[in-house]
Amino acid sequence: MSVQAPDRELDRLEGLWADGLSESYRSYLEAVSDYEADAQPKLALAAALIEAGVRLQGLGGRAAPAPTLLMGDLCLARASRLLADAASLAVQVAFARAIEGLSAAAASGSPSRPVRELLLNAFTATA
Amino acid sequence: MISGRLRFESSHATEFVDITKRLRDAVQESGLRTGRVYLQSLHTTLGLAINENEPLLLRDFQHLLERLAPGDAGYEHDDFERRFEISVDEPVNGHAHCRQLLLTGFATLLVEDGKLVLGRWQSVFAVELDGPRHRQVAMQMDGAFSPPHQPLGSPRRRRGSGQSAGWGDTSDGSREARLVEAELMRQLMVDPDPVAAPMRRLMEAGGKRLRPKLVQLTSQIGPRHDPLRAAELAAAVELLHNATLIHDDYVDESTYRRGRPTVAAEEGAERAIAVGDYYFAKATRLIAEIGINGVTSTMAQAIEAICASQIDDVALRGAFPGDHDSYLRVVRGKTAALFAAACASGALLSEAPSEVVEALRRYGDLLGVAFQMADDMVDFSPSSGKPVGLDIRQRVLSLPLIYAAEDREVGTEVRRLLSGALGDKEVGRVVELVTSSEALRRVGDEARGLVDAALRELESVELDGLRPTLVSLARSAVDRES
Repeated sequence: MSVQAPDRELDRLEGLWADGLSESYRSYLEAVSDYEADAQPKLALAAALIEAGVRLQGLGGRAAPAPTLLMGDLCLARASRLLADAASLAVQVAFARAIEGLSAAAASGSPSRPVRELLLNAFTATA
Repeated sequence: MISGRLRFESSHATEFVDITKRLRDAVQESGLRTGRVYLQSLHTTLGLAINENEPLLLRDFQHLLERLAPGDAGYEHDDFERRFEISVDEPVNGHAHCRQLLLTGFATLLVEDGKLVLGRWQSVFAVELDGPRHRQVAMQMDGAFSPPHQPLGSPRRRRGSGQSAGWGDTSDGSREARLVEAELMRQLMVDPDPVAAPMRRLMEAGGKRLRPKLVQLTSQIGPRHDPLRAAELAAAVELLHNATLIHDDYVDESTYRRGRPTVAAEEGAERAIAVGDYYFAKATRLIAEIGINGVTSTMAQAIEAICASQIDDVALRGAFPGDHDSYLRVVRGKTAALFAAACASGALLSEAPSEVVEALRRYGDLLGVAFQMADDMVDFSPSSGKPVGLDIRQRVLSLPLIYAAEDREVGTEVRRLLSGALGDKEVGRVVELVTSSEALRRVGDEARGLVDAALRELESVELDGLRPTLVSLARSAVDRES
C-alpha cells in the first residue's frame, strides 16, 4: 500500500521520502490509529521526521557533515511544528523528553533505547 | 575593586587591536567615577601600547618592530633541540617574544568624571605579535564608584567579587533581567553535566539577551502580566537561540564565539550536535509547558524558519557574496524569525489583543533584519573586539559585501577577490575596499530605515507606557557600533 504525506510538510525534504521516511511514516501511522483522523498523518510524520532527523545528524554516532546536519535540524524543527499543530501537551512534552534523553545519552557516550521505541512510547503519554 | 577580562581574537601575525572603545564602555558600565584602570597582558607575545590609531603610523610601528627583531634573525629560543619540555605545537616565535620586550605588558589608565583620561589622539592598543590567536587582557578598576549605569548591550559586572559576573547582559540591572538569569541557571542546574557544562560556558561568556528582553517587555503589554511565566518563556527562547548557535558554529567551522572556544571546537562535533539537540528539545518542551497554544505554534514556526534559512544560507555560499533579495530571505528566517516570535509570544502570554500581537510581530521582524545588518557591519569595525573580516573568511552572507560587490568603484576588485582563495592578504584588501566604499553607509542607512519602519508599526497600538523602551531597544540594537 502506498502512503502519501502532505506535500507542504516535505518541502526541502522531498528526497527523504524515498529514503526510508515513507516506511517509517507508515509504521507510525499504525501506532496513532487511536487519535483523531485529522491528527494521525501529522503525528505519524512528526515521529518519522524525528527518527530521520537524528539519523541524518549522526546523533550518538559520527557527526554528519554540515549540509546533512542542517537537513536533520529541519526534520526536528518541522516535527516540532507538526506536534504543536496536532498533539496534546502531554505528547509534545513526551516527544521533547525523548529527544532530550537521546541527546543526553549521546553527549555522555552512553547507550540509549532505540529511537522508535522511545517515540512509540511517547504517543502513549497522557496528561 | 572590579576585575574582568577583555577577550578577543587577533587575525594577523602582527596587529594593533584598538581596545579603547571596549575600555570606555567597561568604565561606563562599572560606574567608576574617579580612579584607575589597570591592564595586564596575559601573554608573552602580546603587548600593550597607547598611541595614535592612524593606519600608516601603525604600519610604521610594525616595520620598526620588524627591523629591531626580524623574524628571520635566528633565535636561540627557536632551537628546540636545546630546549627542554617543549610542547608538540611549540611555535617558532623568538622574534615575537623579543618584540614584546620592546613594548610593555602593563598599562594604568586614569579615570575622571566617569571617563577614561586620554588625549585627543590617544588610543589603547593590545599589540598582537604572534597571531592570529585567542587573547586575554586582565583588567581591574579601582577608585570611587557611583551607582552603576549599565546601558543595553553591556555585560553585568559583580562588585567586590574579584571576577566578572559569569552570565550575560542584565542591561539595566532590572528585576526582569535578573529573573531570566536566575531561570537560566535553574534550568542548567537540573540538566546532565555533559550537556549542561558546554551550554553553561556559552551562557557565561555573555550575549546580549535581546530576545529574552523582547519577550519580557512585550509580556507587560496585555492585561495578564506574570513576570515569572515571562521569565520562563524568555529563558526558553534564550536556550533555543543558543542551541541554534552551537549547531551554527559547527556548520560555519567557527572556533571562537564570545571570545571563547565554540562547543564544537572544544568538545568535538559529536558533542556539539548532542548539546544543540538537547537544548532545542528542552526549549520546545519548556515553551509547550507554558500551555498557550499560540505561543507554542509561534515559536515552532520560528524554529522551522530558522532551520530552513540555514539551509538556504549554506547553499548561497556557492554564489558568495549573493544579492540583496537572497540576503533578506535568509536573514528573515535566520535572525528575524526569532525576534518576531519573541515579540509576539510575549504579547500572547499577556493576552494582548490580536492587533497588538501582530504589530509586535512585525516590529520584531523588521528589528531582527536591522539587527543583522548592524551585526554585519561589526565585521568591519576594528574596535568591536571581534576579528575584522571573519565573515569574509567564512564566506558568510553579509550586506556590506553585497553592496561593495555592486559598487562602481570597488565592485570589480571585490568580486575578483571573493571568487578566489581568501588568505590574510585578500581578506585585508576586501576590508579596505568595503570601508573605502559607500557600502557601510548604505547598510547603516538601511538598518536605521528598518528601525524607523519597525517603530511605525507600533504607532497605532496601545503599549501601556512601554513605547519609549521599545524605541530605545530598537535604536540601540542598530547603533551599537556607531
